Amino acid sequence: MKDFYYEVVVVGSGAGGAMAAYTLAKAGHKVLMLEAGRDYDPKTETPMFKTNAQAPLMGAGNVDKDFGFYDATVDGGWTVPNEPYTTGENSDFMWWRARMLGGRTNHWGRYSLRFSEHDFKGKTRDGLGADWPFEYEELAPWYDKTETLVGICGTNTGLDDMPDSAEGVLQPPPKARVPELLVAAAAKKLGIATAPMHRAVLTRPKDNRQACFYATPCGHGCSIGAAFQTTTSLLPMAKATGNLKIITDAMVRMVDVDENGQANALTYVDKKTGKDIKLAAKVIILAASACESARLLLNSKNAHHPNGLANSSGQVGRNLMDSTGTGVGAHIPALEGRPIYNEDGHTANHLFIPWWGHKQHAKGELDFPRGYHFEIGSGFRAPGSGVSGNLQGYGKELKDQAKQYYGAGVYLALRGEMLPNEHCYMEIDDKVTDKWGIPVAKFHWKWADHELKQVEHGLKTARKILETMGATFTSPLPSADKAILKGGQIIHEVGSTRMGESPKDSVTNQYGQTWDCKNVFVMDAGVFASNPHKNCTLTIMTLAMRNASWLATQLSKGAL
Amino acid sequence: MAKIIKEKNDVQYKSTITRRESLKWLGILSASALLPSLVGCEDSDSTSTIANAVGDSIKGHWPDLTLPPITVKGYGKDPSMIIPPKSPWPKTLTAEQLTLVAVLADILVPREGDVPSATEVNVPDVIDEWASAPYERQQGDRLTILSTLVWLNDEAQLRFTQTFVALSPIEQLNIVDDIAYQKDDLAEEFIRIARAFSRFRKLVLAAFFCTPEGTKDLGYLGNVPIAGDYPGPTDEAMVHLNQTLEQLGLTQA
Repeated sequence: MKDFYYEVVVVGSGAGGAMAAYTLAKAGHKVLMLEAGRDYDPKTETPMFKTNAQAPLMGAGNVDKDFGFYDATVDGGWTVPNEPYTTGENSDFMWWRARMLGGRTNHWGRYSLRFSEHDFKGKTRDGLGADWPFEYEELAPWYDKTETLVGICGTNTGLDDMPDSAEGVLQPPPKARVPELLVAAAAKKLGIATAPMHRAVLTRPKDNRQACFYATPCGHGCSIGAAFQTTTSLLPMAKATGNLKIITDAMVRMVDVDENGQANALTYVDKKTGKDIKLAAKVIILAASACESARLLLNSKNAHHPNGLANSSGQVGRNLMDSTGTGVGAHIPALEGRPIYNEDGHTANHLFIPWWGHKQHAKGELDFPRGYHFEIGSGFRAPGSGVSGNLQGYGKELKDQAKQYYGAGVYLALRGEMLPNEHCYMEIDDKVTDKWGIPVAKFHWKWADHELKQVEHGLKTARKILETMGATFTSPLPSADKAILKGGQIIHEVGSTRMGESPKDSVTNQYGQTWDCKNVFVMDAGVFASNPHKNCTLTIMTLAMRNASWLATQLSKGAL
Repeated sequence: MAKIIKEKNDVQYKSTITRRESLKWLGILSASALLPSLVGCEDSDSTSTIANAVGDSIKGHWPDLTLPPITVKGYGKDPSMIIPPKSPWPKTLTAEQLTLVAVLADILVPREGDVPSATEVNVPDVIDEWASAPYERQQGDRLTILSTLVWLNDEAQLRFTQTFVALSPIEQLNIVDDIAYQKDDLAEEFIRIARAFSRFRKLVLAAFFCTPEGTKDLGYLGNVPIAGDYPGPTDEAMVHLNQTLEQLGLTQA
């Protein structure tokens, strides 16, 4: 990179890093990006139209490919070879990582719901967690810009948990499927609204990307660019400006400082040679994922920053949150043997159930402080390694049962907001290093009553909805502590370098600029002050666009 | 009908007592109404097999197999998805086992008119790949599948002094009818094998429905590109939905 004079180094090429790099490159600033994983090109590597029969084990998942053979994740999942993490006593935590250009955006669910006014000032409302250092109104125009750039399908519903986008921003959503319409009717009877899901899937072409053709699961990646991933959009668009250069297989070891404690360089391991390379850096943006960025800061200890870089508050690694997760599935007799049609659609929720309880919360009617939503699993799916139903016998009778059950299952998946608590955090394990000699992350986790009560409410509500659809349950309701998924399992980990109004209790200011090092920024989900239930990626990108725009003006002014 | 693979692999599993020994024993005990579990009679290193909910007091025979773990490598974390590996690990079923799998697969999914049987679309090969895979879930199923195969041959010996494959179709169904239905009044000696057989049955069905012929038979209509907007439910599907809503006393949202 001797011939490339960059102003900013970005660590990570996922949602936050790619948006930051794109924004800066578009504003005329030279950016060098480091990605720990290998180069990846969805145009040539995505298994479009492949069937499960063509994959080993009918496509089933395992420790090599946790989400199935065709999941886009490269060299990652719940484990990364030679890069372990550890957990504290009585702590269950799962950490999903990818080691590829574009990071986890290559396989994500593409659900793209805006946070709402309630979400930014939760502490003001109920005294719990932390407020964000701004209101929804501050972010609204940035959501519009981000949604326009990314391409989001959905509609403005006017529901209080779903702020409207500006006119013309959203692309039309696909029509709802039969089981979703049945859920909607049952929920309506219970006074609960359903809405078209907002997804980062193009239903109209945009720039060089095609509109969705409603086949091939988005989790496999998308060679036509309809399902958003940075490798088919922000990264090539940023590179086209001539202002972005990317180095892959570059695992950052630490941020280096000068004799005054000022960050002035990065050291990364070139994974191909195993050699350390030190890069001078005027401005550094960490967007390696919430926990990798926090790990990097904690590992960048030196005489000036004995507890890790940007950690004078002691908050780096603290306030770690995931979404709560659980679900209830049921066989719906009324859907048995229904007429078959193509239900692939954009291969995920066309309808979902947004949080409906803000008014109940305001009236103090709920025994848990924060909301959740339901995602709807259903449909005539592509055959895979599982066949549903309590099947008996053999021969024609057996196949007829399987056909009768086909498309008659409905699953309601809860995704809820958790609050930060003192038992949920990450630190550096001083006894374990990865293959590159970098000390690894150690996670501590314990759900609080807030989450368990919310999950209990969700389980009851899900059963009520399914019963209204004609399902019957013979087993008792599982207890919330058994039903709740593990920390990290929803892959919405946030908060480990949270932003705030004071250097005392936060790591960065509202622009992701660390209080301690003016030229070090965090632009991934680490900066989230809270973790609303609405899936983090859209807000990661929106914050990265807003904060990189602010950084661009600072650079232009010569303020950094 | 069954497709027989000629290549003869080494036997990858062993019973903690020989088949002949255990069958002799069963022959002696078969007059008795209460067959004790073999678990209590075996070497101390014998491990229990299958989901063990039935416990020690089960009636009937059960082959407590001790299988060495499969230690070959999987396909790794970055396999080509464009050209998936065809033979990601060595297949381990013997020709004899594979033949039995084929016979069973075709009992479960026989030819129906133009729709081929499980064996005609190579389902036994998929079962072999599954049972030979080095992953945890598949190794659990491997024990289930191999135990099922051994149990069926043992039962065939007890009832007809033949291997299962050598039995007439009527004799085969005489056994299968006893284990293919997990009903409440199932005789105790069949509870464990019925559960194992059920797992095997689902794998065979899954493997069948995954094939192009099976997918067509199931009726899946997706995985085809659509020009323009997603059309949504057909008129016929909406008529059915509206009837369903009416029956449930619901109205469209």
